[in-house]
Amino acid sequence: MKHTATTRFGLAALQIVLALFVLLPFFWMISVSLKPATEPFAIPARLWPTAPTLENYVTAFRPEFRTYFMNSIIVSGASVAITVTLALLAAYSFSRGKLIALTVLMGAVVIAQMFPHSAIIIPIYKMMRLADLLNTYTSLIIAYVSVTLPVAIWMLRGFLIKLPVSLEEAASIDGAGPVRVFWDIVVPLARPGVIATAVYVLIVTWQEFLFALSFTSTKEMRTLPVGLNDFIGQYGIRYGELMASSVMVSVPVIAIFFFLQRYLVAGLTAGAVKG
Amino acid sequence: MATVELQNLAKNFGGFTALEDLNLMIEDGEFLVLLGPSGCGKSTTMRIIAGLDEPTSGRILIGGKQVNDIPARDRNLAMVFQNYALYPHMTVGENIGYPLKIQRIGRADRERRVREAAAKVEMQELLTRRPAELSGGQRQRVALARAIVRTPQLFLMDEPLSNLDAKLRTVMRAELKHLQKELATTTIYVTHDQVEAMTLADRIVILNDARIQQIGAPAEIYARPANVFVAGFIGSPPMNLIAGEIKDGIFVHATGSLKVEGEPDGAVTLGIRPEDISLVATDKADLEGKVYSSELLGDCTLINAHIGKTLIAAKVRPEDVREINTPVSVGIDHSKLHFFDASTGTRRDNAK
Ligand SMILES: Nc1ncnc2c1ncn2[C@@H]1O[C@H](COP(=O)(O)OP(=O)(O)O)[C@@H](O)[C@H]1O
Ligand SMILES: [Mg+2]
Repeated sequence: MKHTATTRFGLAALQIVLALFVLLPFFWMISVSLKPATEPFAIPARLWPTAPTLENYVTAFRPEFRTYFMNSIIVSGASVAITVTLALLAAYSFSRGKLIALTVLMGAVVIAQMFPHSAIIIPIYKMMRLADLLNTYTSLIIAYVSVTLPVAIWMLRGFLIKLPVSLEEAASIDGAGPVRVFWDIVVPLARPGVIATAVYVLIVTWQEFLFALSFTSTKEMRTLPVGLNDFIGQYGIRYGELMASSVMVSVPVIAIFFFLQRYLVAGLTAGAVKG
Repeated sequence: MATVELQNLAKNFGGFTALEDLNLMIEDGEFLVLLGPSGCGKSTTMRIIAGLDEPTSGRILIGGKQVNDIPARDRNLAMVFQNYALYPHMTVGENIGYPLKIQRIGRADRERRVREAAAKVEMQELLTRRPAELSGGQRQRVALARAIVRTPQLFLMDEPLSNLDAKLRTVMRAELKHLQKELATTTIYVTHDQVEAMTLADRIVILNDARIQQIGAPAEIYARPANVFVAGFIGSPPMNLIAGEIKDGIFVHATGSLKVEGEPDGAVTLGIRPEDISLVATDKADLEGKVYSSELLGDCTLINAHIGKTLIAAKVRPEDVREINTPVSVGIDHSKLHFFDASTGTRRDNAK
């Protein structure tokens, strides 16, 4: 497509405005986290602190924070592993199976992802209480797997449908049984889709607040999003430390995303089949 | 090595009939080519033999044993897919060695056999490359090597050369033929290219409209096409088909007539190959026409002319170039005539 200089300039300007719109809160978060305790609400407001300091980070990195961090890693990590494994198996059946029952089930999956968390939290809470699982990792992991699984299946199914079936047929002619075909051919080729799905589950579970708040009752079991609440006290909000913690919460996810970005490009099937 | 037998094979996709009552016996070690236009059911036949699709009805026997209920992986056959179907995450060597890996053949043995198979298709230098880093012809060779690395009962090849350029296709064709004779493995080869079929096949099966039109050796099919479909499909350009009528031993056409002794009366389609037509003086003409185009091909001139409403092709001497729209007198070799029934399209002397 060819653009005139004016349209190109207009598009660039629009992109810059959109980027600013998205990035400004992040910038503000970092800026506030570097300001001394006295400065956040100085008038006139400054975009960037005159004397940036890391003291907020030092106070924010308390032992509690470290506990929350570990909890988040355990809960998110397990949710990612379980959801992606189940979703890959389910998506493979959905993308290759021919039974009418599968179409019905896929419809159920699509509908399942439409329920807002707030609508299903009470039934799940009741089930957890019945099973005596409240205030455990297991309760959060079960909840996270159930809320992320439908979208994960949907994503992976979309990915697997595009993989050429002839590769699996070739493998079965080469003598591979169904498990072998799945493990040797489907899993390696699905890697970009698996990574994209894992990133999705990670982002959802890492920032999840509602379940984490409802299902955990002690500080020992809290995850990061709930932990941030510590800075919001009855008499005021410690913005500097809150923002410093927020930065520390965001950095791992952003880092993982940047690191995995190149795997998200679904170029792995190049050269498999003609065209 | 094995015989393959198809008995009353049929395949429907919903209400659509892709194959109808197919019967075929393939000999051990034979190179059989399934030839037909796109969509006639060639790949469907192949996939049913391979076990990738199930027939709607009918039996498949490999080596005399019914295999209808045996899954593809246990049929001990190798297939070269139309789109190659190379594993993109494996190197060339791993691709070729994959069937052996599944058979749990030891690493040393496996590597030796991979090298041997790769050498047969001249790919031994590229074993560490990935399919994405290969040209179309090289991918083709890898697909072939993956098929010959084990000793299957049967080779299935679905238009394996269709994606190559003309020159490479000729080279690979010769290699394939040589390889097949060397390995003496029964081979079923699918193509829509009649030149490929004529050059490769021991026998050709011509398919059209879900049915077998003719089975025979290439020379036989060329010399005695069983019906107007085969006549109009084989040869380049294919046989000319001219509608007319036989009355008292004379073929009558609006532009002329010719003696055809012993042919019974009736409406017929006359078939005559372009190379059996020549340009003659007006007083010796069998039929009269008007030149539509004249192309010097080097060793001959290809003349297209309208005979009445029918456009015919004639391969004539190189010096017989004609101006467009000039009248032309056509002579026909009376010993090379083919007659087809005008209503059924089948060859008239079929029964003889
Ligand atoms: N899975 C399918 N579902 C429906 N129709 C099919 C399917 N596979 C093939 N066909 C139809 O069957 C006919 C024969 O197909 P195919 O055997 O692939 O032809 P070809 O001779 O070109 O290889 C075609 O008309 C095709 O559209
Ligand atoms: Mg085909």
